[in-house]
Amino acid sequence: MMKISALSLCLAGLIATPALAEGDAARGEKKFEECAACHSLEKDVNNVGPSLAGLFARKAGELENFRYSPAMKRSGIVWSPQTLEAFIAEPQKAVPANRMPYAGLADAGERADISAFLAKTGK
Amino acid sequence: MVTKLKEVDAVVVGLGWTGGILAKELAEAGLKVVALERGEMRTTADDYAVPNIRDELRYVVRHDLMMDTARDTLTVRNNPSQEALPMRRLGSFLPGDVVGGSGVHWSGHTWRWTDMEFKARSMYEERYGKAFIPADMSIQDWGITYAELEPYYDRFEYTAAISGKAGNIGGKLQDGGNPFEAPRARDYPLPPLTPILASVMFDKAAKNNGYHTFPRPSANASRAYTNPDGAKFGACQYCGYCQRFGCEANAKGSPHVAVIPFAMKNPNFELRTHAWATKILKDSIGKKVTGVVYTNVLTGEEFEQPAGIVLLCAYVLNNVHLMLTSGIGAPYDPASGAGVVGKNYCYQTGAGATLFFEDRHFNPFMNAGGSNYTMDDFNTNWNFDRGPHGFIGGYNIGGGFNTALPIGYRPVPQGTPQWGRAWKSATAKYYQTAMNIGASGSVMANRANYLDLDPTYKNAFGQPLMRMTFDYKDNEHKMGRHAADTVNAIAKSMNPTAMNAATARTDPWTVVPYQSTHNTGGAIMGVNPKNSALNKYLQSWDCHNLFVVGANAFAHNASYNPTGPVGALAYWTADAIKNRYIKNPGPLAPA
Repeated sequence: MMKISALSLCLAGLIATPALAEGDAARGEKKFEECAACHSLEKDVNNVGPSLAGLFARKAGELENFRYSPAMKRSGIVWSPQTLEAFIAEPQKAVPANRMPYAGLADAGERADISAFLAKTGK
Repeated sequence: MVTKLKEVDAVVVGLGWTGGILAKELAEAGLKVVALERGEMRTTADDYAVPNIRDELRYVVRHDLMMDTARDTLTVRNNPSQEALPMRRLGSFLPGDVVGGSGVHWSGHTWRWTDMEFKARSMYEERYGKAFIPADMSIQDWGITYAELEPYYDRFEYTAAISGKAGNIGGKLQDGGNPFEAPRARDYPLPPLTPILASVMFDKAAKNNGYHTFPRPSANASRAYTNPDGAKFGACQYCGYCQRFGCEANAKGSPHVAVIPFAMKNPNFELRTHAWATKILKDSIGKKVTGVVYTNVLTGEEFEQPAGIVLLCAYVLNNVHLMLTSGIGAPYDPASGAGVVGKNYCYQTGAGATLFFEDRHFNPFMNAGGSNYTMDDFNTNWNFDRGPHGFIGGYNIGGGFNTALPIGYRPVPQGTPQWGRAWKSATAKYYQTAMNIGASGSVMANRANYLDLDPTYKNAFGQPLMRMTFDYKDNEHKMGRHAADTVNAIAKSMNPTAMNAATARTDPWTVVPYQSTHNTGGAIMGVNPKNSALNKYLQSWDCHNLFVVGANAFAHNASYNPTGPVGALAYWTADAIKNRYIKNPGPLAPA
């Protein structure tokens, strides 16, 4: 195990821009079950959370028919795989006082899978 | 003036767990179904989302999701020699009043009641002799068996996203589960929740005392889940706002998440909110019901909804009240023991200790309905010999917290002043350092505990209020003392810094403060129309197209929370209607 961790650290060091793991959309679809109780993938269908249809072209807090927290509206985030993965890693740390009741997804690979899935469904 | 509407196949009164299950199942079977719900529509997105839901004042103190006692309530007394007085504020129990009913604000504990309840009279008589059951204890067999209900328990558990650990799969005991549970076909759909510190400490102490603890099965999804119908649940966040709140994360198995949306999607189904059912109508010879009269509480308009089948799915007390005000079934008379409607009303009892550990920080704000360990050594364990203790029934014990909120959760050691500087200082000191161990106990039916119509007081619709006559009897006092002794022995073995010991409830029952929303009986199931209101399919003995679905059908009350068998019986009744009654309307069981 030690060897593998050390190796991945070296690999990470070789890449100049912040490394984004290549996500797997199929795995992401399964992991998305954690989100699906609150987030729809259909346009204009808001539930407890806003619709995630076409997410990667949007600014945070942009949908007119969803009541966002002031914190999310002020966040200035433009959704991309990078910003999404940073947000769902620890939502209250990324955007303090946002109102999503979700503690966060610790595994970077799983976060990448989810954004791969959303990128695929968003097209 | 009553406006008569077009006849439908089935009308459902009350849209909570049982109404939601039946509405969905019957609409999918092709029946035209109308549901009448006295409360309003509430959804997770509009009403239960963060941050508005985390409002203890609104939901706990002001009972936002509960029935309005200014419109309808009941009168209460301890025995027939007293004059009953109206309960003007909610206290001991909290019936729900929105779409989803009490299934919105429950904490989720979901149990399988066993043949120890369904065959209570025959099992105790066989083991201890007829004389062991007191003459005034009116327990009777329910007419149903655990084996018949097992597939329906399973169905409900998978619908409602129950997290837990099986103790007995097909007769084979499972490590970590309840060794005293009846055999099940398969495990729960979800693994148990993560236990909280207080509960881990209780678990260890109870095991050291020789008891068999296990995680409490509960409708709090331990991880994201999609039920067999496609309802999506989020993972429980342990936010601590379970009991009396809708779940902000769609993680609690509730009818408005699990079943009602599927009825709403079905063109065969129509929901009418703010619709208060006042009467069930009968035909001229009284052998069938013909529909329901209701009032729109927003406009005051009255409607008659004719229907081929009437399903009473409101709260226990409201189902019985509608039977009484509509003259269906003979009202129960405690003096002669004759009559059936109102009979065998039961409640629950309990005993709890508070333990203080000055070196611990429990973070009591973090918990869920299922984050606690519990034990059944004195409950579903038939090897526990009740003979020497002289009581029937049992109690289960759990340790930890359940919805410990900032206004109401103020544990302080006994002897602390109840106000002023000393109280303030103590409440700050002890908030983080206290935990509970509590027993929840059964209540056996008694001839003198019953429901009928009050001779004096009326509700907003001019109808007599329900009158509740109830008190704990010697059987419950004996069991309560046994439970308190067991709780205190476990608690003392944990060496707390200070402890408020458990005591049995032996004073007369009162309607304050909150105790439990587990009211049962009043329109019970059985095998004989002379001593029960319903047959084993929850079908009225008097009118075969009337079904009365809920804990009103329980012939007595166990120590367990009632929602497991309530949900299972709703599916059981739905199958009986779909597979048998529709094809051949008539009594489903011989009288």
